[in-house]
Amino acid sequence: MRKAALGVALAATALSASACGQGVLGGDSKKDKGPILLGMDIPLSGSSADIGPYMKNGAQLAIDELNAKGGVLGRKLQLRAEDDACDPKTAVAAANKLVAANVAVSVGGYCSGATLPTLPVFDRRKIPMIIPAANSTELVDQKLKHVFFVNGTGDQQAAAAMAWVTKSGAKKVAVVHDNTSYSKDIAVRTAAELDKPGGPDKATLEAVTPGESDYSANITNVLRSNPDFIYWTGYYQEGGLILRQLRQAGYKGKFMVGDGSVDAKLVKIAGGSTAEGAYATMTQTPDTIQGAENWIASYKQKFGAEPGPYSTQSYDAVRVAAEAIKKAGSTDGDKLVSALEGISGLQLFSGPLKFTPQHTLTSGGFVILVVKNGKFVLQDALK
Amino acid sequence: MSQLIWNGLFVGSFYALVALGYSMVYGVIKLLNFAHGDLYMLGAFSGFAMLGTMGGLVKSSSLVALFVVLILTMVATGLSGVVIERIAYRPLRGAPRLSLLLTAVGASFALEYGTRIVAGPNPKVYPVRLDGTALNVLGARVTWQQIALMSVSVVLMVALNVLITRTRQGRAMRAIALDPKACLLMGIDVDKVISRTFFIGSALAGAAGVMAGGYYGKIDFLMGFIIGLKAFTAAVIGGIGNIPGTMLGGLLLGLLESFGTHFVGGQWRDVFAFGFLILFLTVRPTGLLGERVTERV
Repeated sequence: MRKAALGVALAATALSASACGQGVLGGDSKKDKGPILLGMDIPLSGSSADIGPYMKNGAQLAIDELNAKGGVLGRKLQLRAEDDACDPKTAVAAANKLVAANVAVSVGGYCSGATLPTLPVFDRRKIPMIIPAANSTELVDQKLKHVFFVNGTGDQQAAAAMAWVTKSGAKKVAVVHDNTSYSKDIAVRTAAELDKPGGPDKATLEAVTPGESDYSANITNVLRSNPDFIYWTGYYQEGGLILRQLRQAGYKGKFMVGDGSVDAKLVKIAGGSTAEGAYATMTQTPDTIQGAENWIASYKQKFGAEPGPYSTQSYDAVRVAAEAIKKAGSTDGDKLVSALEGISGLQLFSGPLKFTPQHTLTSGGFVILVVKNGKFVLQDALK
Repeated sequence: MSQLIWNGLFVGSFYALVALGYSMVYGVIKLLNFAHGDLYMLGAFSGFAMLGTMGGLVKSSSLVALFVVLILTMVATGLSGVVIERIAYRPLRGAPRLSLLLTAVGASFALEYGTRIVAGPNPKVYPVRLDGTALNVLGARVTWQQIALMSVSVVLMVALNVLITRTRQGRAMRAIALDPKACLLMGIDVDKVISRTFFIGSALAGAAGVMAGGYYGKIDFLMGFIIGLKAFTAAVIGGIGNIPGTMLGGLLLGLLESFGTHFVGGQWRDVFAFGFLILFLTVRPTGLLGERVTERV
């Protein structure tokens, strides 16, 4: 419903914008004809290779919908995805490729550690970035003019985690991270909240090395501090192993994961019913958003698979980019930035959009999920 | 404390099993086989594929199934090791050491990304999981499946040591380690013995891969990288080329990591373990048991 109404509005503005758009942009004809390129740095290989396709598909879905309605400024949109392998060096090379290809807006960015060094690459060329997934506070702290976030940030997630920890009545909380920018950020912020007087206390703050199989040494460390609540802020591959090994080591308390661990594979890796009752702090996913059934159906029809994490955010990033291009009436970086800052009330999956002065979402939109019958379902909307 | 020791020994026995192949190959042809960790990964994946095809059979008697798969996988990864040697290393045997090192890195990438194309980038989860009740041994929490896996590792390691020190095959391997040219003159089929060395080393890595799959549950196409690095370190600590030294090195590395995590914290563990490696190499560059330079396999 929401989408249909939006579509009509989009088509109407697109028509009017395209009419004047061509007049204004007549000058540089070579650059301004043909499709408008949207760049996307995402992991298609390496440790997070399974997330990339979700994001690419989400973005592609939005582009196809926009193109079916005539595109933007009378031009079609086209997606150009590059593999960043969740690796800083590869990501910079990929970003340079996108810049060389003259992308108008970047709508990628998953691993915060890999996205961080690409910020100056785009910013220097005045190419706006609308980052759908990467959300370490470290990225926000760069305070770059051309960088926007359509995912909740690390401190918003830490606040959500803290709210749930307090609500669930935990006394001693252990926080475990994997030393990557994204994971450490949430963990350190949560730990800082726990250290404040009153409320639940911090049991320990532990770091593990990602990519390994055996975390027994870390688990022995964590359990020595006698926690009754453990919060894992890394990704699902290690998350599943850690949860399983915690239970094998006799831990009976509560367990919660961050948004990087929300994936059906977490439950499978933990095995059997081990993951039952585990909580997660998460921005909205297709299956926890009410009224997203139509969206899920069209995604499935198009790609023959279930939408995964960050497909909705990538979809929204493209729509935000299109909206900005339309409002700016051009693909000029500075105009786009003021258009982005001016957007107010565009309906996203996370709610109506209005960027804060830091270019983040006004509210992170984090909710608490719980694993029930092997699936993540909504536990508490923290409203 | 006893928990720390047990954790260390358990992880260490995996390192040791993988490190043996590294060490053997290095001992015989002085090649750092960087693809060795990926044979561990290949073992985990072929075990996964076999368990998948066995389907319902697995459910009824999972331990027996896992054991059968372990044996079959050892044969399969052993043969892959032989094929890799034949394609990537044998044609370069006379070439400078650096070219061999580079082909080894190439073979490693070929295996990793080949597996990625065949099996996909997503991690896989083993259909059979070893679950068992925990025992309390001297204050340490020990599970039955850990004991089972460690016993398998120990049996394999002992068998390997017997093979090398007590059989004709082993003698041929030791002889080639000393002087391949002389061996050729003495009528030893050097190529065949080297093939066998690769077979045995790769089979051990494959066995470790299946055991890791069954115990930890998660496998992915890059899982061989870190363990390859760790196994290499273990081999160097123990004395690369020396079989008992390598086993000791694996266990020691496991213990170093376990104690490092405990005393200096998780984020400093690798700094602690690898810093120790540097210290160790400066004080004792041949490794723990590396003094028997004259007879390396």
